[in-house]
Amino acid sequence: MSATPVAMRPPGSRRLLNSWQLLRALTTRDLRLRYQESVFGWAWSMLNPLSYGLVLYFAFGVILKAGFADYPLFLMAGVFPWFWFQGAVQQSTTVFVGNAGLLKKVRFPRLILPLSIVFGNTLQFLLTVPVLVVFLVASHKGAHWSWLVTLPMLFTIQIALMIGLCALLSSLTVFFRDLQHISEVILNLLFYATPILYDIERIPAKYRWVATINPYAALAEGWRGAIMSGHWPGEQIIPCLLWAGGFLVVGLWVFHRLEDSFADAV
Amino acid sequence: MTEDNAVRTPEEAPTDVALALSHVSKRFSLVTPGGGELKSTLLHPIRALRHRKPHAELWAVNDISIDVGRGEFFSIIGANGSGKSTLLRVMAGLSRPTTGTVTASGRLSTLLELGSGFHPNVSGRENAIINGLLIGMTRAEIEALLPGIVEFSGLREFIDQPMRTYSSGMYVRLGFAIAAFMEPEILLVDEILAVGDGRFQEKCYNHIASLRERGVTIVMVSHDLGAVQRFSTRAALMERGHMVMIGNPEEVVQQHLERLVNTSPEIRRAMHDAIEAVVLSSPEAQEKFEAELAANPAFHRALAQKQAREGLPGAVEEEFPDIARDDDLPPAP
Repeated sequence: MSATPVAMRPPGSRRLLNSWQLLRALTTRDLRLRYQESVFGWAWSMLNPLSYGLVLYFAFGVILKAGFADYPLFLMAGVFPWFWFQGAVQQSTTVFVGNAGLLKKVRFPRLILPLSIVFGNTLQFLLTVPVLVVFLVASHKGAHWSWLVTLPMLFTIQIALMIGLCALLSSLTVFFRDLQHISEVILNLLFYATPILYDIERIPAKYRWVATINPYAALAEGWRGAIMSGHWPGEQIIPCLLWAGGFLVVGLWVFHRLEDSFADAV
Repeated sequence: MTEDNAVRTPEEAPTDVALALSHVSKRFSLVTPGGGELKSTLLHPIRALRHRKPHAELWAVNDISIDVGRGEFFSIIGANGSGKSTLLRVMAGLSRPTTGTVTASGRLSTLLELGSGFHPNVSGRENAIINGLLIGMTRAEIEALLPGIVEFSGLREFIDQPMRTYSSGMYVRLGFAIAAFMEPEILLVDEILAVGDGRFQEKCYNHIASLRERGVTIVMVSHDLGAVQRFSTRAALMERGHMVMIGNPEEVVQQHLERLVNTSPEIRRAMHDAIEAVVLSSPEAQEKFEAELAANPAFHRALAQKQAREGLPGAVEEEFPDIARDDDLPPAP
C-alpha cells in the first residue's frame, strides 16, 4: 500500500537544496517577525536569559548568600545554554498544530518545521555568546585551548538532543494536545532539577538519581565546566551522548511513524 | 483531442494514465461528543473500560477508482461534504488512504488553497519565495519566475509591501500567479477559481487552458458548474463518499442538478418560490399555469387524495406544493 507516489518528488540533491532553502527562509522569517515591531529588536535574544540570570543571582547569590566563587559567571554559563534548549523544546510542541493550514494544503518535508525551531533558537543562542564573553572577562577568566574541541562537541550534542526532543514532542502534540502544557510544567521543574543554580557535587547522594534521569543534567555540567575552567567533560560525555543519541533516534522514529497522519489530525 | 476526451466514458480507460486511483477509501474516526476521552478514562477507569465502544466512523471516500489520462481536465463535483476535497487531498498525497492505492506519474503540484502559508507581515515577494520553496522549487528557479509572477498578478510595486496591506483580490491574484507559474505535470485544483473578479477568473481559466495545451493534466474540484462544463474533458459526481457518475461533463452536471433538487429542501423551496413569483407576476401566466395544471393527471390524483383525507375541496394555490413534490416540477409557464 504505497500512498506516496515516488515520481512526484524532485531528485535527491535538488530536494536537499530545496529543504535547506526552505528551512533558512522559514527560520529567518520567523525570527524577523518576532522582533520586527519591538524597539530593542534582536537585543531581546540576550536580554531574556541575561535578566533571568541576574534575578537568580540576586535571589540566590545576594539574598540567600548561597553563591560561591564567580557565581554570576557560574549562573550565566548554565542559564544561557538552558534558555537555548528550553526555548526550542517549548516552541516545538505547537509547531505542527500551529501550522495546520500548511500541513493540510501543501506537501513539503514536514521535518522542516521542528528543525526551523531548533535552527532559530540556535541563532538566538549564538547572539548571546558576546554576553558570556563579557562575564568571562569580568571574572578574569581567559580562553582555553580545549574550547576548540569541547565547545563544538557540546554544541553538536545539544543540537542532536534538541532535534530529537523537538521532533518527538511536536509529533505527539498533534495527537495529544495536553503535551503542550505538560512539557511547560516539566521544563519549569527540570530547570531546578538541573545543576544550573548549583553544581552536581552539591546534590546529596540519595538524590543523585534525579540528575541521572535528567536528560539535560550532564550537558549543563559539561557546558559550565568547559566555559568556566576549560574542563574536559570526561566520563560525563557518556550520559550526554546517550541521552542525545537516544532522543534523536526515538524522536525521528516517532516523527516518521506519525508524519503521514498529521494532515488528518491537526 | 478535446472531442476525443469529451466523449470518453469510464469504460474506456485512458491509455496514458497520469494519475491512477484504485479502490481508494478514506475513513475518519469521529470524535465522540463531550471530548475528554483521557480525562474520563483516568477518573473512571472501570466505567471507561466497561463502556468502551468503537468510535463512530465516517467513510469520507468510499472505494473510488479513477484513471485520469495525461492531458485530461478532470472535474469532480458534488454537494458539500460529499468527499470531493478529501479525495483531492488523498490524490495529492497529503492524506494517506485507509485502503487502496494512488499512483501519480509526473511532477504533481497542488493548488488546494491559494496562498497557504502567506504571512500578513511579510512582503509579497518574500511570501512568494517561501510559497515556491514550500511547493518544492529552489530559490533560483523562483527568482527566475518572479518577474512573470509579478506581471501576471498585476501587483507591480506592491510586491514589496507587507501582505496585510493587500486587498483580498491582490492576495488571491498573487496566490494564483505563483501556483500557475510553477510548471507542474499534474495540477490538482480545489475550488480556487471561484475567487477574484470576473476578469481575473477569465485570466486564470485561460492560463489553465494554456497549461493543458502543453500537456498538463488537471484535476479540479469545483462548485462552478459552468466552468466544469466549459473546460473539463471528463467529470465525476460524488455523493456521500461514493462516486455515483463519471463521464461527459454536461451529463454529469445535469445529473448533479437533478439530484440536488431531489435531495435538498432549501433548493426545492427556492424553486417553488421562484415559480410562484413567475406565476403570480401576470394574469396570463396564471391562466396558462392553471390550464396546464388542470391537464396534469398528477394534479387530479393529489386533489382527490386531499379531498378524501379532509372531505372538502382544496384551493389550487394550496395544492401546488404537493404537485411539485410528486413530480419534480410543475410545468413552468
